[in-house]
Amino acid sequence: GFLDHDSWITVELQHSLSATSDSFTFRGNVTIPSLNSGLANVVQPPLTDEELQQLKTLAKQNDFYRLKTTVVYSNGAKSTFLTSNKACRLLLAQLKDVLWISLDPSGFVTAITASQDAPPGTFECTPEDIDKLDETLFSTDVLIRHAELAPVPDTASFIQKVEREREARERGDVRDNRGFFAKYWMYIVPVVLLVFISGATNQEGAK
Amino acid sequence: RALNLGKLKQAYVDLNHLQPRILLSTEEGVVASVCVKTGNLMWRQVLEQKPRGDIKLLQVSGFFDENRETAAAPIGSNLGFDTLTVQGHAPALVRGWNSNLGAIEWEWSTMPLNSEQAQNALWFYSRSVLYHVVPVWRSHLEVTAYFASSGHSTGSSSKVIASWINPETCLLSGTYYVCLDFPGNQLISLDLLSKSGQVIRTPLQRLPQGKLEALPGLSGVVLSNGNLISVNKDIPVCGSLQSASYAIGSFNYRKILVYADLKTNILKINAVYLDNCSPVVELAQSVPLPDHFGTPSLSSFDCVQKKIGDGKGCLFLFSTTAESIIAVQNGRVRWSREESLANIVDSQFVDLPLADSEGTLENEINGKAGDIASAFLRRIITQAAQIRSLFLHVIGLGPPPSATQRAGLVRDSFGLHKMLVLLTQTGKIFGIDNISGKHHWQLYLPNVRGFDNKEQMRLIVQRSAKHFPLQPLCTILGKDSDTDNGVLFRFNPITGQASEGGLILLDYKVKQFSLLKETERDFVKGILLLDASNRVHVYPQHASPLADGMYLYTAGMKTAELSGYFVKYAGGKLSSKHIWNARLGGHNSEQQIVGVAGKNPIEHVHSQGRVLVDRSVLYKYINPNLVAFVTQAPDATHKSLLNLYLVDVVSGSVIFTMTHRKVRAPLHIVHSENWLAYSYFNEKVRRTEITTIELYEGKVQANSSVFSSLQAPPMPLVERQSYIIPSLVEVLRETITERGITNKHVLIGTASGSIVEMPWHLLDPRRPIASTTQGREEGAVPYIPELPLPTDSYINYNQTIARLRNIFTAPSGLESTCLVVATGLDLFVTRVAPSKTFDLLKEDFDYILISIVLVALTSGSLIVKHLASRKLLKQAWK
Repeated sequence: GFLDHDSWITVELQHSLSATSDSFTFRGNVTIPSLNSGLANVVQPPLTDEELQQLKTLAKQNDFYRLKTTVVYSNGAKSTFLTSNKACRLLLAQLKDVLWISLDPSGFVTAITASQDAPPGTFECTPEDIDKLDETLFSTDVLIRHAELAPVPDTASFIQKVEREREARERGDVRDNRGFFAKYWMYIVPVVLLVFISGATNQEGAK
Repeated sequence: RALNLGKLKQAYVDLNHLQPRILLSTEEGVVASVCVKTGNLMWRQVLEQKPRGDIKLLQVSGFFDENRETAAAPIGSNLGFDTLTVQGHAPALVRGWNSNLGAIEWEWSTMPLNSEQAQNALWFYSRSVLYHVVPVWRSHLEVTAYFASSGHSTGSSSKVIASWINPETCLLSGTYYVCLDFPGNQLISLDLLSKSGQVIRTPLQRLPQGKLEALPGLSGVVLSNGNLISVNKDIPVCGSLQSASYAIGSFNYRKILVYADLKTNILKINAVYLDNCSPVVELAQSVPLPDHFGTPSLSSFDCVQKKIGDGKGCLFLFSTTAESIIAVQNGRVRWSREESLANIVDSQFVDLPLADSEGTLENEINGKAGDIASAFLRRIITQAAQIRSLFLHVIGLGPPPSATQRAGLVRDSFGLHKMLVLLTQTGKIFGIDNISGKHHWQLYLPNVRGFDNKEQMRLIVQRSAKHFPLQPLCTILGKDSDTDNGVLFRFNPITGQASEGGLILLDYKVKQFSLLKETERDFVKGILLLDASNRVHVYPQHASPLADGMYLYTAGMKTAELSGYFVKYAGGKLSSKHIWNARLGGHNSEQQIVGVAGKNPIEHVHSQGRVLVDRSVLYKYINPNLVAFVTQAPDATHKSLLNLYLVDVVSGSVIFTMTHRKVRAPLHIVHSENWLAYSYFNEKVRRTEITTIELYEGKVQANSSVFSSLQAPPMPLVERQSYIIPSLVEVLRETITERGITNKHVLIGTASGSIVEMPWHLLDPRRPIASTTQGREEGAVPYIPELPLPTDSYINYNQTIARLRNIFTAPSGLESTCLVVATGLDLFVTRVAPSKTFDLLKEDFDYILISIVLVALTSGSLIVKHLASRKLLKQAWK
């Protein structure tokens, strides 16, 4: 499912590193020149030490890391989206995340979600583990989910199939040239066997 | 199956006909006749869906006509019709009915020139001519006359200039068109049949509080503030009377006016002679009326005509605010019909309580077990008590069984016998036995209504009957009709009594709700409510700690915006945090949500995967937080678009998007396990189609024990297919069983009122087009675009359900069996066994044969053993 009219969008990323306030600070910019090709340019400055510390406190409280994204379309229209994930998962994934951009059939964004692929086994979020991490550079992959076209009842191929089967049957009906025994041996053999067996037992009885 | 009619609109009681009868029309577009003595249905005709089937007028010949005074008992045949109805506006259909059989006798229709104005059209009947009145607000009235039985126009339509008419305060009373003139305290009226067209102005003593009401039977009489006001100089009214409802009729060959009022559960009926306003003492009576009927209003009455009647032959027909029909005769309620059951909004199957003896046993098991000795002692004590009660019972001295026991409301061993709790649109609640259909109790909540944007009231089971000493508890979540604030009503679903607080008025508007886990203390599932200002509340409050870590979502129908919230409980306070949002509305929010389908929270998924041909397993993508949203919008190139979104409502990520072109509502979705099926109307080829989707994780499972939306597998595999269904789909529902081992079937309710049980393997999107060995090995049926609807899979046989609206399913105690209730105008309760009754013996199972065989074998083996020992003994002696 690709769009009829390709267009570009830019996405501004802002994140909130505090559990209590609703203030968002700048994280980076994503430019997608073509929605159909799905290639994206991501520009993200590294986190400052203060921001990293804030993120760590957030993780220790097992709170949400919230990401606000503002999409600007080619015609200048804007819309904002919000997504959240556990802060400790982001830290454990070494600030690697995947930005999923879901599109509707006419090319407008329906949702932007960030997900992290945490290394397996390190699900626990202990303060010691968090303190060991000091990655400050985000590395973000952008993936686009296009809307797909729904299937329609597939009558054409079904009719074709029926036609094919009919032809096959017609061809099959031409003639079965095998002999009588060749065709029905599987019915004859048991009958013959039965006759033999009963004959044998009768003979025994006659004796 | 129970047949219902709907809310009463017009009724005629006719006791003086050759065959006494009651004819009525209802808001649901039903014309029916009921038996005078019992209230049973004689016949019923369900007309077309609204607006086509909206009944504008029901006219029974001889009623409220001028012939009435001359003929003693009018027989309709000389008028050319018996009963006629006018329905719809574009076109307006006039139908004549045979009132004895309910057969349609003739029909004609008229198409108005301007169908928009005709929406407000009114009809009245006078002297075998039917008049069609089309008001054009603030301008004029168009009156067209037709011969009632033929439909021929009597002449050109006349236009009456009337700039004073407006949509708010006008009505038709007999042949008079009456309006309230706003600033001036007066009624302006016009006799539509008079040649002069003179406007009559009648001053009013007081401004009417509510709407004006017409009094059927008296032309030009309106009801205002409980007083009667006549705008017609020829008709006198008793203006000093004060009552809520009036009706006109005759008694002892004199015209009388009957009025009835409800005062503290006593219904008082009084009557006066219309000519001199002196009271008719024979008819004065008072009837005690239970609460659950609501407020009655008199709709019709009739008396058996005798020279000197004593008033005992009079039957008064009431319709109530709880949508019941009550017939009162001779100072008592003769019969009543519960017509609110024609509009059921929610339903639950509730387990019945245990029998008393089992209950004590359960109690003992539940008791916190101490050491072995005390448990043993308790066991002995309870068993001794049981023996004692059994003994007392036998000699007839035991304690009387409790009320529920007497009513036979005891759980059976298979859990098939349940209490069906039905919530209706008017706020009336019923407790119905699902096997006998008996109404065990009924309750009426007068001021509770459904929410805006078509969200209905909800019926929630907070505590099931499993926790024995505690009674089960149900809650209704609704809206107060005056303040729009939320309302909770808690009651015991077995007895129908309010419990644990009863009616609770909340001081906020409810936006979303969710159920919490069971509390330790009293096993109540708390209700988590999100109010209009995004604050969260938990009811009951002691369940608040369980709300910590809950996720909630809201969806705006019009804007198609979704928002997700996280609920946190810290320091004794609940707070919510907005964590995600999504916009399904497109660029200008032209998309509107037409369908939302989550999964049934009590569902269990037994099988985690599907075995493929190569003996590998394709794991199902089972995400309990997945919700399907369907939006619809007009589109320039494709006429109309239907988009399906699968959204994880915890993380807010849109898992899958699919779009249909040239497709529109009506849309019905069913969402269960890892699959989704929805039906829609294809405009291009004009047929109904069903699309099915299955989601698979793939050959490996990310986390087999717990599913977490925050670390979900990124993208499931999506299998999809579309099918043609040769019928109009009204409702879809999946079957559900106790443990989810039984195959899932989809119940398809069709517009013709039948329910088809469709096995999932016919809807399976993995049905292969070419019949390969691979598909056959997997057990998939080859693809055929049209779904078969074999008549032997109709679970309601010939018992069609008129206006089928919804199907509810519930598991029974047996794994194989699922309880089904289908609601519409009628109510139909049954049970289905999707994988056949594998855990039950067949009905024709030969118990005698198997016991004979068993006895014979046992005795045979004993005899043979005996013989063998004798033989051995004999051999030893040789």
